[in-house]
Amino acid sequence: MKQTRVLALGIAAVALAATQGLGAATVTSNVTVSATVAATAKLALSSSTVTFANADPDTSPSIAATEGAITITAKGKTSTGGTIALTLLAADDLKSGTDAIAIANVTWTASGTGFAAGTMNKTTAQTVGSWTGSGNRAGTQSYALANSWSYATGNYAVTATYTLTAP
Amino acid sequence: MFITRHRLLALAAVTSALSLILVPAAAAQRVNLAISPSTITFASADPDATPSIVAPPITVTYEVDKNGGGSWDISLLASGDLTAGSATISISNVTWTASPTPRFQAGTLSSTVAQTLASGTANVNKPLDGTVIFRLANSWTYNVGSYSTSVVFTLTAP
Repeated sequence: MKQTRVLALGIAAVALAATQGLGAATVTSNVTVSATVAATAKLALSSSTVTFANADPDTSPSIAATEGAITITAKGKTSTGGTIALTLLAADDLKSGTDAIAIANVTWTASGTGFAAGTMNKTTAQTVGSWTGSGNRAGTQSYALANSWSYATGNYAVTATYTLTAP
Repeated sequence: MFITRHRLLALAAVTSALSLILVPAAAAQRVNLAISPSTITFASADPDATPSIVAPPITVTYEVDKNGGGSWDISLLASGDLTAGSATISISNVTWTASPTPRFQAGTLSSTVAQTLASGTANVNKPLDGTVIFRLANSWTYNVGSYSTSVVFTLTAP
């Protein structure tokens, strides 16, 4: 009788161990996650015109743009370590009929990380900003026209093109 | 096989005297899990227009059998961040919503701690479907590239 009880307890222990081993069921499935990030560039200016009012060259040797500082937002996605560049190229000199004011008389100062001051040019695009890597950058650009008694009267105009490049 | 053989031996050796102890040993859970499709794809998009990129829905088909009143859960664990060469996008930028609730729940992917996608108790005697929609928080700071990682879906009936 005693021998039988010992045997029964031993079997019960085996049975409980089997229950625990069988009790944990797990199954897994692998899924691949992929994401494509393509090169993109997006440029926004707070004003599409820059206006210089008439002024006395003696009292206003430098005429600030009526619009004040232009806010520039340059957003771009590029490769790791890639350079995002914002340039400006004038189409010509300021023209009023046959009269001209050399575009080099238009300069700008800038604020914001990566933004740079410069002088307008009609042959070589000038750097307005340059950054390493992807990002959303904002800054300002304040234009000024060097005033002169030598300018012929007239309404002068020219266009300039901003180009944001994210290679 | 080893465990099964011992269980049968126990059943053979002990008849009516130990039957109450041995009955639970016969109830082994059976779990099935299938994910379709097996890829989660995020297309490139303008972060301003699409601040959250939505991937096509994933169907999770699951079945839990012979679980008695026990609990079960489906968890997700990413193998790492999204990577493209040396560029990375933190995996925490990937979130999901899921249905039907309350079994399925929303969450955020992690590569360190498994996140619960679904949970319940008792059996799911016939295969049921859940739908999971993953989203990637878009950003101008992401570098150009083709990123990838993997996610393990695990169904456990503990």
